[in-house]
Amino acid sequence: MNNAAVRANQRKLVILAALILLCAAGYMLISVNFGNAKLFRYSMKIRTPKLAAMLITAFAIGGASIVFQSIINNVIVTPCLLGMNALYTLIHTAVVFVAGSGSLLATNGNLSFVVDLMLMGIVATVIYSYLFEKTHHNVLYILLIGTVLTSFFSSIQTTLTRVMDPNEYDALLATLVASFNNINTEVIVLAMVVLAVIIFVLRKDLALLDVITLGKEQAINLGVDYDRCIRHLLLGVTLCIAVATAMVGPISFLGLIIANLARQLLKTYRHTQLILGTTLFGMVVLVGGQLIVERIYSYAIPISVFISVFGGAYFLYLLLSTKRS
Amino acid sequence: MKIKDLTKKYDGRAVVDSVSFEIPKGKVLSLIGPNGAGKSTVMGMISRLIARDSGLVDFEGKDISKWKSKELAKRLAILTQTNNVQMKLTVQELVTFGRFPYSGGRVTPEDEAIIQKALDYMELGAVKDQFIDELSGGQRQRAYIAMVIAQDTEYVLLDEPTNNLDIYHASNMMKIVRRLCDELGKTVILVLHEINYAAFYSDYICAFKDGKICRFGTVEEVMTKENLSEIYNVDFEIMEIEGKPLSIYY
Amino acid sequence: MDAPYRWKPVTVRSQYKGGITIKRYTSTVLLIILLAVLSVWSLFIGVLDIDPANLFSGDLEQIEIFLISRLPRLLAILCTGVGMSVAGLIMQQLCMNKFVSPTTGATISSAQFGILMALLFMPRSTLWGRAVFAFVFAVLGTWIFVWFIQRIQFKDVVMVPLVGIMFGNIISGVTNYFAYKYDMTQALSTWLVGHFNMVLRGRYEIVYLVVPLVIIAFIYANHFNIVGMGKDFSENLGVHYNFVLFMGLTIAAMITASVVVVVGSVSYIGLIVPNLVAMFKGDKIRGALIDTALFGSIFVLVCDMIGRVVIFPYELPIELIIGIVGSLVFIVMLLYRLNHGRKAVRLGGKPGPNVSTMEGGVEA
Repeated sequence: MNNAAVRANQRKLVILAALILLCAAGYMLISVNFGNAKLFRYSMKIRTPKLAAMLITAFAIGGASIVFQSIINNVIVTPCLLGMNALYTLIHTAVVFVAGSGSLLATNGNLSFVVDLMLMGIVATVIYSYLFEKTHHNVLYILLIGTVLTSFFSSIQTTLTRVMDPNEYDALLATLVASFNNINTEVIVLAMVVLAVIIFVLRKDLALLDVITLGKEQAINLGVDYDRCIRHLLLGVTLCIAVATAMVGPISFLGLIIANLARQLLKTYRHTQLILGTTLFGMVVLVGGQLIVERIYSYAIPISVFISVFGGAYFLYLLLSTKRS
Repeated sequence: MKIKDLTKKYDGRAVVDSVSFEIPKGKVLSLIGPNGAGKSTVMGMISRLIARDSGLVDFEGKDISKWKSKELAKRLAILTQTNNVQMKLTVQELVTFGRFPYSGGRVTPEDEAIIQKALDYMELGAVKDQFIDELSGGQRQRAYIAMVIAQDTEYVLLDEPTNNLDIYHASNMMKIVRRLCDELGKTVILVLHEINYAAFYSDYICAFKDGKICRFGTVEEVMTKENLSEIYNVDFEIMEIEGKPLSIYY
Repeated sequence: MDAPYRWKPVTVRSQYKGGITIKRYTSTVLLIILLAVLSVWSLFIGVLDIDPANLFSGDLEQIEIFLISRLPRLLAILCTGVGMSVAGLIMQQLCMNKFVSPTTGATISSAQFGILMALLFMPRSTLWGRAVFAFVFAVLGTWIFVWFIQRIQFKDVVMVPLVGIMFGNIISGVTNYFAYKYDMTQALSTWLVGHFNMVLRGRYEIVYLVVPLVIIAFIYANHFNIVGMGKDFSENLGVHYNFVLFMGLTIAAMITASVVVVVGSVSYIGLIVPNLVAMFKGDKIRGALIDTALFGSIFVLVCDMIGRVVIFPYELPIELIIGIVGSLVFIVMLLYRLNHGRKAVRLGGKPGPNVSTMEGGVEA
């Protein structure tokens, strides 16, 4: 059915993938010393994990955003609104606060990733499952509560930082800004494994996404166990965001940008294509953004600030361009 | 399909108060009544969209909550008023979703044929590649009906299908309802506001008032001056056109 | 036909019962008494002990502390509470949405952006110079936000505040960008987290602007009420919709900005207080305005007292206490509303935290 459109989309995706290869190659090779084999290998060793981390982030955040938008049936929301970023910041601060910045928990990247991820997974699951039940599966209310939780978490976090030792605070501050630097290979592998497990567990629910697009009543009419499916997917979304945030730090707006770019380009409801497209766009934005941050601003401004500003402008454009019904 | 002692309460107030009736097979049944009488809530409960507080909905010998949702989707289709799709979806893609209970995401050649037939039946061939949100209200309504046809269920439930349609499209919609019953042998249950459509196009009428069934019977039995005045608290006159009782109210 | 039918029984009953005027003002009187008691109490909390006896016997040092620090602080707290809650009430009325407030309407973040601009372009500006920037940006930001929600398609009750929050995020994003770029993060942080410890004589008087603005709001309360009913409704009654709308928003934004300049960001009061008061008093703005103002200042005062006591002799910024207490209260309120609908809580005693135990009565 409608094979022409499907094929056209596949072509677009291939072009996008080619573009990314170009970007990635540019990122890997710009201002690399080819003459010196040692320096060359050193640059590769530094840059490869960064590139892998960006790929995973793009996939986790992009996929989560697409799924989240489809659940809510609204394309101008992003799971960042659930308060996951603030929760990450709080948990990370709390770990440093309790264990101290010199402890193994704070200095060992792998360990701190695992601890952050586990705590975030557990806390997020408990909170959002509870909210789901309390709001009778009203996702918009969950969203509003999520934004309120954002300030709840960040208030507690700031309170902790006021009480803690200023030296510890300085050490902590560096880890709270999103960054692709200093990510261990082990963390990357671990993140991939976690994502693969999430996808495997949720494979049946993910297959229902296309039907969920039709809205609650139609989905139930077509035989979907709606509430259960939404609950699973929402938990999947939170976990994906948790993985990405625990790996690189809080990034808001990225999901909104790339999910909408993918939707605009592909004009389809098919989630396999959408998720693929989002991931590819995520790569472009992250790699391109990182290139600008590293080469033009020489690390003066964190990439997350960039994404907030551009994402914000794009969000306003989206709001205005959606025509009134 | 038998409904027994169905009750739904909001904030302690019963909006549907122990309603019992039986749905005649292979006929068109219209649910009518004033605003807030509980028609749509009853419809929602017999189609599992709304959870009930007590009572039974016996669907082919088994309570509706005991059915597997997917199996039920092959027997019973419901179309509500709120169908706002934010995503880009063409008419054909929408109709294809009607086959979801049967073959999941993969479309078999038989499905393909059924989808094509549904599109033709609703005369949507010309617009099948257009996006749903670009259609007119009447066309969009027809596209959703086509999806319900593709779903190939014995029971079809429609919640105010003529809502927001002009007279031309509304009467067309009612003719389609009649054909679903006469040509395709489906049992159709509708919620209607316009009593004359109910009188002209359905076989049975179930009238609600204050969460209870006020009258239930054939069109001729229900459509009398006295009954209607009692249901709506308005004066009625009944006329006969093409052998059907039609009402005038003022 | 409908309208007289609806309000008739109410008047009949109240005439029958008599004493309606006393009953209507019970809550106000109770709130005033509570506020007075708390205010006096709060004056004597602090690192240095102040003894009322010494104060009256003419201990100059103590009187000085009292006049330079304690009294200004109390006045600033009262103005903050009154101002933010009234600003929230006005915005909610005008936008026809109970979840709009200076926080969820991008007003606070716009004011902060204005302050940053003042710091950037006029590094030597006085507090008043910064205030002017904050006023202009807060007003513009709020106008743009409302212009936006009038233009967009998603009018869902919850969607409007979400758009506002995201809009606020964008403005903070831009603020952060400039702050990073010009190394201003440290200087800006004073205004990001609201606190009262810098409130001293000579440094806080801008916050008094709240008083005339609230009085204007009170005078035009009925206009705001009418505009809240919609454009056609107000034109029909001969009220200039756009004029009143933007004047109302301007007042709310100015109130917010004058608080932000002195104290910093103080969120949630504008969101929670009007909603809590409306649960008891209904949505008629004039009836609720005084109670909202009183309850708002009590709320801020209590939070400030908590902040001063928790890690004594240090203190926590008010914004943090309100962020924790306020967000919890708001979530409880949201869930309550979701599960009970928009029930009004019948007034049986003093309003406050014991909402859930009160008998619920259906209002309209």
